[in-house]
Amino acid sequence: MPQILPDFSSSVKLKYVKLGYQYLVNHILTFLLVPIMAGVVLEILRLGPEEMLNIWRSLHFDLLQVLFSSFLIIFIATVYFMSKPRSVYLVDYACYKPPVTCRVPFSTFMEHSRLILKDSPKSVDFQMRILERSGLGEETCLPPAIHYIPPNPTMEDARAEAETVIFAAIDSLMKKTGLKPKDIDILIVNCSLFSPTPSLSAMVINKYKLRSNIKSFNLSGMGCSAGIISIDLARDLLQVYPNSYALVVSTEIITPNYYKGNERAMLLPNCLFRMGGAAILLSNKRREKSRAKYRLVHVVRTHKGADDKAYRCVYEQEDPQGKVGINLSKDLMVIAGEALKSNITTIGPLVLPASEQLLFLFTLIGRKIFNPKWKPYIPDFKQAFEHFCIHAGGRAVIDELQKNLQLSAEHVEASRMTLHRFGNTSSSSLWYELNYIEAKGRMKKGARVWQIAFGSGFKCNSAVWKCNRTIKAPMEGPWQDCIDRYPVHIPEVVKL
Amino acid sequence: MAEVSWICKRTVVSTKPVEAGKFCPLSVLDRIMEHNHVRVVLYYRCPKERKAGESIRMLRESLAELLSAYPIVTGRLLKTAEGHWMIKCNDAGVRMVEARAKGSVDKWLQNFDREKELNLVHWEPMFHKLYFWSTFYVQLTEFEEGGLAIGLSCGHLLSDPICVTIFIKAWADMTLNGKMVTPPLFHRLPRRRQCNETTNPQPFPELINYYKSTLEKPVPVVQAKQTTIKIAFGDEMVRSCIAMSHAPGSPDEPSPTPFQALAGLFWVGISKIKGLKNGLITMSICLDMRKVLGLDKGFFGNCMVYNQVPGDGIEEYELSKAANAIREVVDTMDAEGIMNLIEWMEGKADQFSCLMNGYDLICVNLEHVDSYSAIFEDNFKPIHASYYIEPTVGEGMILVLPSPLAKGSFSRVVMITLPEDEAINLLEDKLIQQFSPTILMMADKKHTTANSDP
Repeated sequence: MPQILPDFSSSVKLKYVKLGYQYLVNHILTFLLVPIMAGVVLEILRLGPEEMLNIWRSLHFDLLQVLFSSFLIIFIATVYFMSKPRSVYLVDYACYKPPVTCRVPFSTFMEHSRLILKDSPKSVDFQMRILERSGLGEETCLPPAIHYIPPNPTMEDARAEAETVIFAAIDSLMKKTGLKPKDIDILIVNCSLFSPTPSLSAMVINKYKLRSNIKSFNLSGMGCSAGIISIDLARDLLQVYPNSYALVVSTEIITPNYYKGNERAMLLPNCLFRMGGAAILLSNKRREKSRAKYRLVHVVRTHKGADDKAYRCVYEQEDPQGKVGINLSKDLMVIAGEALKSNITTIGPLVLPASEQLLFLFTLIGRKIFNPKWKPYIPDFKQAFEHFCIHAGGRAVIDELQKNLQLSAEHVEASRMTLHRFGNTSSSSLWYELNYIEAKGRMKKGARVWQIAFGSGFKCNSAVWKCNRTIKAPMEGPWQDCIDRYPVHIPEVVKL
Repeated sequence: MAEVSWICKRTVVSTKPVEAGKFCPLSVLDRIMEHNHVRVVLYYRCPKERKAGESIRMLRESLAELLSAYPIVTGRLLKTAEGHWMIKCNDAGVRMVEARAKGSVDKWLQNFDREKELNLVHWEPMFHKLYFWSTFYVQLTEFEEGGLAIGLSCGHLLSDPICVTIFIKAWADMTLNGKMVTPPLFHRLPRRRQCNETTNPQPFPELINYYKSTLEKPVPVVQAKQTTIKIAFGDEMVRSCIAMSHAPGSPDEPSPTPFQALAGLFWVGISKIKGLKNGLITMSICLDMRKVLGLDKGFFGNCMVYNQVPGDGIEEYELSKAANAIREVVDTMDAEGIMNLIEWMEGKADQFSCLMNGYDLICVNLEHVDSYSAIFEDNFKPIHASYYIEPTVGEGMILVLPSPLAKGSFSRVVMITLPEDEAINLLEDKLIQQFSPTILMMADKKHTTANSDP
């Protein structure tokens, strides 16, 4: 077995060897089965039909045996089908498109920053440097309350933003799917930083007059990965409740969380977080299989909260002046890398083809027994997935993951372009990225998508979807009017 | 001033992003107006069923649409390599202030003065970090009992009052119909053709000499407190003023235009008030040169030129002689002369640190400005329009504006800014009283009470 080290992979011959190896290992069952089948067929041909009939008559079948056998077969089949988890289908989803009047160009953001923080020019310069390197574009949007000089967000403004975003997304989803409010059995709303009473899920129930026996949940405080947590919760509930629809709403309300102080570590979210939201319809109904876009294959959740450093890495606190903001620690990227490794270790065996798993196993054994100096083998996830949706948390996150997973520019294009057009919309960014891939006409039947999200805690959550039917572009959605302009080249530093 | 209360201040940006790296140069006529700013207020009535804040929201959205066509308005000032001002189109937006006022718009118009009116149009003087200073300010004030006031102010560096009106009209078209009738054009001022060898090297040196002498003066200091009054002259009265201004011994000469007649009238009146005995006070007129230079209607920028009208030699406050002198100067301001002036100014490498209208009595011709066709909603024309060119630190300023009545009518509205006591005395002048003007806006109440005779 050739030891494939990264340095040699540029050689063409080795590439073919690698391909041959992958084919062999991934289809090993076929390779084993073919000679057996061939042997059986040859044997049958050799024996001839009379011999076959003689062998048949020599097996003494009596009624009891036949009955027992058939019952056993039926019993095993029933147990198998009953214990199989229900398939969860993603019928459709809708992303919120903010109005053009909420647009915040870089120069406006910097001007406001200078006017509001006129006593801290260093903080303003810091914000400017962040914005220049952020990877955001000139069309990202902030809610109206943040456009004022100075911003004075009230609870009423926050509720207004929540209503605008959530209701628009749900309306769009209902139009696309023909869903009626009374059909919704499960409702999950996740919004990390705004948690009023009554909850946002109650707000949705009130607006759409949902049923009184609805199972509603409101997840708050769970950070940017809460979208996948909601999907996981919906999936578990759909195992318990047959024939149901689950509506998941993922959003982040920016209005109440604008940091008004001047601590540098806490100014970062102001520069990156933008308005956005998504509504997703999941179902376990069999008849949705024909029109559903995706089928949920796996959800893997990894929580590194047991480690103190990971726990404190994204921390909401008051600054010395008493203003509340979110403090991002300097080792955020390191912790994210660790959380990702953890997640990959769990998800790898579930999704990777046998060839990659074997290689990983061999290098692991080799490192443990022969030589610890061998480089750990990073499995090639590009063989397991056609599309990647990496949470657009910031340019650094996408760069880090691209490097760690050895992805090409095209794989991370959806994430980078979503960051450019919409900014960091927190838990809903994965849906904007998925929508980008669809809008580009790249989503074909059978394609596998990997959504990865990071969040405070520190969590790394993944969801794996399989495309159920080819999705045709052009389509309605937030990318409708600008998809032709993308992809754009995003410079390292934008000169302001 | 509890009558007008602020709701909020924000920035309105265009709906389409501006391409990076776009710059708009400013012409010499722009740069010479660096220390001035323009303020315009338009008043409207509103439909009765309108909810509070709805008009403002509608206007804000249409303004955002409009700004996509005006990258120069949303840009910021920057100095070129030569040290001149230019605009970097960095997509920063314009400031908007939203306010609320007590009462209704009609009640307001019965009892307002300069100070109150200036509360309806927000302005921020240039601060030293000019890159973050918005050049345009919009204020939308909703009257609690019905009505809307739209106030727009901008640095004179970018546009003169006529250009501001064209911008407002474009905004109104965008709100009403979703598109502009006259899209803006951004180009340089026309140049003299090089092939003319036979022309005089410097015809009409008076214009250039006037600019030369003004540029050499230091920036004046603000003196006595000034106030503004606004009076309206009916069609009949303007016609009789024109008749009176027509020189009796020269029937072949064309009769004065309403501007020339009214300018002459106020020139005489103000000279009398100021107590000048030998001839009239030095006056400068400011005229729009767009038609003269053959510019397209959508031209964006400054195109108003000042020229001095000599007043000595006009004895006995003779109206016809005054109007004649004005007419003569107007006639000399033709395309050749203006282009010579522009060429001469471009030749001057220094910066323009003077105040163009800070010394003499200035009379500005805005009679053809199109403010009353800025209709934002069907059937709601502006009921009133006010213009200010600030700061007023010279002898005084007269703006001749159109009236809200039908086009083609000779009726006019005149806004006069003078030191307070002179303004009050002017209203009582017999010559002006002869034309029975209607007083639309009085001098500031607070100060008149102190000065009035018991």
